[in-house]
Amino acid sequence: MEDRYAQNLAREKRRCFIEACVINGLILAYLFAAAAYLFFVFGPGLDKGAGLWGRLASVLGPLALILAPLWTRSPASPGRAFIERTNPFLKNLRRPSAGSWWLTFSGLTTLAVLALTVVLGWRLTEVQMRALFSADGIAGAGRIFSSLFQPNLSASILVATLQAMVVTIFIALLATMIAVPLAFVGSFFCARNLMRGSALSLTIYNALRLIFNFTRSIEPLIWAIIFSVWVGIGPFAGMLALMLHSVASLVKLYSEQIENIDPGPIEAIEATGASRVQVIWFAVVPQIVLPYLSFTIYRWDINIRMATVIGLVGGGGIGTLLMQYQGLAKWNEVGTMVITIALVVWAMDYLSARIREAIY
Amino acid sequence: MSLAAIIEVRRLNKVYDNGVHALKNVSFEARRGEFLVIIGLSGSGKSTLLRCINRLVEPTSGQVLLDGEDLTRLPTRELRLRRRRIGMVFQQFNLVKRKSVLMNVLSGRLGAMGATRSVLGLFSEADRARALECLDIVGLRDKASNRADELSGGQQQRVAIARTLMQDPDVLLADEPVASLDPATSHSVMKYLQTANRQFGKTILCNLHFLSLVREYGTRVIALRHGELVFEGAPDDIDEAWFKRIYGDEAVEVQID
Repeated sequence: MEDRYAQNLAREKRRCFIEACVINGLILAYLFAAAAYLFFVFGPGLDKGAGLWGRLASVLGPLALILAPLWTRSPASPGRAFIERTNPFLKNLRRPSAGSWWLTFSGLTTLAVLALTVVLGWRLTEVQMRALFSADGIAGAGRIFSSLFQPNLSASILVATLQAMVVTIFIALLATMIAVPLAFVGSFFCARNLMRGSALSLTIYNALRLIFNFTRSIEPLIWAIIFSVWVGIGPFAGMLALMLHSVASLVKLYSEQIENIDPGPIEAIEATGASRVQVIWFAVVPQIVLPYLSFTIYRWDINIRMATVIGLVGGGGIGTLLMQYQGLAKWNEVGTMVITIALVVWAMDYLSARIREAIY
Repeated sequence: MSLAAIIEVRRLNKVYDNGVHALKNVSFEARRGEFLVIIGLSGSGKSTLLRCINRLVEPTSGQVLLDGEDLTRLPTRELRLRRRRIGMVFQQFNLVKRKSVLMNVLSGRLGAMGATRSVLGLFSEADRARALECLDIVGLRDKASNRADELSGGQQQRVAIARTLMQDPDVLLADEPVASLDPATSHSVMKYLQTANRQFGKTILCNLHFLSLVREYGTRVIALRHGELVFEGAPDDIDEAWFKRIYGDEAVEVQID
């Protein structure tokens, strides 16, 4: 049995070394690619033909392949630090390094990666200080701003705005209310501590996590466009988009809450011979009810803000109205709506904060 | 296996996923009606041993016999039925903090109830009366409607004992039941475990740190060191030499009174 520990340890060390090597290799590849790109852009006017790229890649590629394993021999290299900290065998064997980490090769490389990223980002996002401070641009923005702060407060515009706002609030409310029970049930199947029992449950866990992660990674704005084609432009499409995204987000928040509960009561209830359902109802649910409520109110708060944005792409409510007036360049009317949205969002924000405070 | 044995542990091994070998070929038996104390340093495998008995932790190899029946091979459903006969008390009490004391005691009955009835909270009048009796035994009847986390540590542990009395098991596992409590409270909790043992005939397997408690309450002792069983005998047999063997040469005995 002692041998088994040594065997397992050796196997884990090998596996982690390879994984760390891949990560370190990717970091080096990024470093080289970014440096090469910047060299071409800012460096002396070299021949920028494809041939040169090829030659450069044929030098830097093998260099990265040789450097990666060498670098991985250092426990301080990012790949090993990252992999070993999450490995149950190796995390206890890690020793804190003595001295200044930024003076080591790993530290310097990390700093170089950060610096290159800023320079590269500056270039790729086409930052232009001249545009930001041009007189024409500032004058145009000022015109719109001053109109926005001179809202059209005529009765007809006010009524239309408030009606649309009520629709928006109810889009958010209904989306939240439908999402909560679905997410409640879903969260138990997405909590690792409840699902790691058998291979089957772990498969369900992984499949559901994949689906919800995918759903969540698509912005509600995109879902609204999809649903406005599916069920037609209007509040219903907006509600469906928000609801779907809320389910995915709440499942994540809820299930993380389950993963963080005190395991003690679960053991205690299991020890009485209780079934799975009883354990969840008596040991898990009492610990999660209040955090769930808090997350739900927070999500409703987010949904109200999102509902206004979703309207911009055909999700109904005040966003759609705003889009119509913006298209006509009626900035005073747009001002009425923007101010209304700001007031409602502020009020809901305040309300949600107060309710959540009362819960804890 | 002797007739008197209610729990028999045979060549039990536990290797955790991270490679730690927590139990090494541990064999012993607990006789019906005894107050068996398990001692050893922190990390010597005491908690793992108790948790392997009701399979809160799955043993790697070996057998755990309850009245001659091996628990280690039972499917989940069968295991749940056997667990009803093995109550457990924990160092951190493990009450459901936001629920009432009465509800915590009633949860001892879950193993014997249908899922639907228990989820709806439909405990019978007889169950409620019995839960109050159990609270009476540990002297906390008047706290029945308090929230569990309003009670002091010692009181919470007494509620946990009431919960196992409600479960009415044959064997009671107690994992460091007084390690989080002050000396005076420790004795009060140990007394209630003794009551469960003497008055209600529960066989007790209890992990303890303090030898003075072991001598006062235990009827028999086993000791673990680095996952191995190194001593089995009467509390008074632990002399200076044995003490050093169990706890290491550096150790000095501390009194609790």
